[in-house]
Amino acid sequence: MNAKRITTMGLLTAVALIIFVIEAQIPPLVPVPGVKLGLANIITVYAMFALGPRDTFMILMVRILLGSVFAGSLMSMLFSLGGGICCFLVMLLLRRILSQDQIWICSVIGAMAHGIGQMAVTVAVYRTGQLLIYLPVLMLSGMIAGAFTGMCAQLVVKRMKSIK
Amino acid sequence: MIRTRTWIIILAALAAVLALLSFFSLTAKKEGKTVQILQDGVVIEEIDLSTVTSERSFTVEWTGGGSNIITVQPGRIRVTEADCPDRVCVDQGWLSDQAAPIVCMPHRLMIRIKDSGGPDAVSQ
Amino acid sequence: MIKVDRRPFARYILIALVLCLMALSGCGAEKSPASGQMAEEAVRPSSQDQASKEQDNALREASISFFAMDTFMEIRAFGTDEALLASVEEAVEDLEKRISVTVPDSEISVLNSEGRADLSEVPARMLKRGLELCEITGGRLDLSIYPVVRAWGFTTGEHRIPQQSELSVLLEKVDYTKISLSGSEASVEEGMEIDLGSVGKGFAADLISGMLTEGGVKSALINLGGNVQTIGAKPDGSLWKIAVQDPRSAGIIGVVETEGQAVVTSGGYERYFEGEDGTVYWHIMDPETGAPARSGLISATAIGSEGMYCDALSTALFVMGEEEALSFWRERGDFEMILVTDDGRMLASAGLRGRFSAQPGSGYELQFIGEGK
Repeated sequence: MNAKRITTMGLLTAVALIIFVIEAQIPPLVPVPGVKLGLANIITVYAMFALGPRDTFMILMVRILLGSVFAGSLMSMLFSLGGGICCFLVMLLLRRILSQDQIWICSVIGAMAHGIGQMAVTVAVYRTGQLLIYLPVLMLSGMIAGAFTGMCAQLVVKRMKSIK
Repeated sequence: MIRTRTWIIILAALAAVLALLSFFSLTAKKEGKTVQILQDGVVIEEIDLSTVTSERSFTVEWTGGGSNIITVQPGRIRVTEADCPDRVCVDQGWLSDQAAPIVCMPHRLMIRIKDSGGPDAVSQ
Repeated sequence: MIKVDRRPFARYILIALVLCLMALSGCGAEKSPASGQMAEEAVRPSSQDQASKEQDNALREASISFFAMDTFMEIRAFGTDEALLASVEEAVEDLEKRISVTVPDSEISVLNSEGRADLSEVPARMLKRGLELCEITGGRLDLSIYPVVRAWGFTTGEHRIPQQSELSVLLEKVDYTKISLSGSEASVEEGMEIDLGSVGKGFAADLISGMLTEGGVKSALINLGGNVQTIGAKPDGSLWKIAVQDPRSAGIIGVVETEGQAVVTSGGYERYFEGEDGTVYWHIMDPETGAPARSGLISATAIGSEGMYCDALSTALFVMGEEEALSFWRERGDFEMILVTDDGRMLASAGLRGRFSAQPGSGYELQFIGEGK
């Protein structure tokens, strides 16, 4: 692991954390439990395509753990973990079949997977399937937010390439 | 490589289905006059809303730290105050006849309408 | 700005997405101030007026459950406290001590062994009504069937199939008309034994119902091991929903909506044993044959205002069978019934139309009988 890679990862983690903490200060857009923009996803998607899965996973884990220390709770960490891991696995598969112009699609589908993972943890924590009623909303809002963050990530990937 | 246009059509179709499902799930009604307050998946309080004659508020403490103030009025219930970070539970407003429960994720709190379909007793 | 794709199609999608996001946040913005205002007016100091609390108290639910008369008893009452329910439990235990045939020195045990006994007030009242019910049902219910039930082993659980000769001897002593009761003095003929158990739960339910009503309860559910009795309707004014057990499975056959009534079911499924040839023998005896009643019914439910009456009827209807039960129902006109036949039919008396609904998928064909009587 060379210095440049460590620096890049550290930088990305820091940016992701800042985005995460700032987003936590924004009041929820929709009064539905579990729905949020997930802006920190921009970094995850970017890392997936620019750095590769291994680094992405480390950034994601550090961001989730530290994020819940700075702006969250044990509960929110569990939800983020469930969602984050599902999202990561799906993006891992998609990244092979998507071109650089289709990064945002990866983000959309990843966000839907995030919703499913998050719901799985929720059902386990609450010990009731009743909350599944929120799953469609969670996945739909995930698609919209995922498309938005995905496009941002795609933009970053392209811009960064010209800088390098 | 699947073309972007194909992806968009697939995703748009998915979004349409989810939008429809979301609409139904959020507007779904549920019969029943008794609400249950659950913490960690355990019923800690049951209130028959039809027996509430005047407004009352009470606080539910969470052992992990934090609390929610719940208010009942004749026929409905809501979270009026909470010290959780997002306060979605407060924004969710009144629960009177909808199937979707009020949830405070950080405090593992849930307020839902009790299933009332079953019989009160079985003659045997 | 964002180079997603050079095709205009993708640009439209992007615009649509941004609009969606704006709509979502608009949604949130609209709701927030309103709910904030709500929060202010709703959170008041909890020094609520005492009067309203007392009003709520009238609808307070008290419940108790205990084991008595060989069964699990559960009472849910509104507008009372646990103290009244505790005295109810005591009363039921006291009743059991006085009438149980398994308690050696109970008043009924004394009557059975000595041939005569001076009954205390409650057992005397119970026996008096019990004898009336034997008469009403034309002996289909007979309080003196006890020795026959014992011969089949249902009292001990050591089941056996008695010889016809043995039953003939026992049947000579089965005749409720030979039980006499004058005032508190009860006597039976030599060799006769009686058991009030067949109407015990029904009587206990009436006893409980009376105590609760006297205590000011206007809504209660009394469930004595499946012998269900209600006081009034539910506190919210809706009717009690009482399901009827499926005699062939663990499920239910339907739900009766009722208020202030007893719903009592008798069936061969409650207590039975299987003979070596696979024949099923159950505990409900036909007083005429001294053998388990085979009337073509596998369950009978009686619904009416008196618990003991319904308890007696559910047994008697089971013994009577479909046709006799129907004419009996016509003649009496003071109860409703649901009969389940061994060929899979479910017969509900006409008065239950609109109050009884069959359980979907229970597999029984529901018919209303005695319409336009």
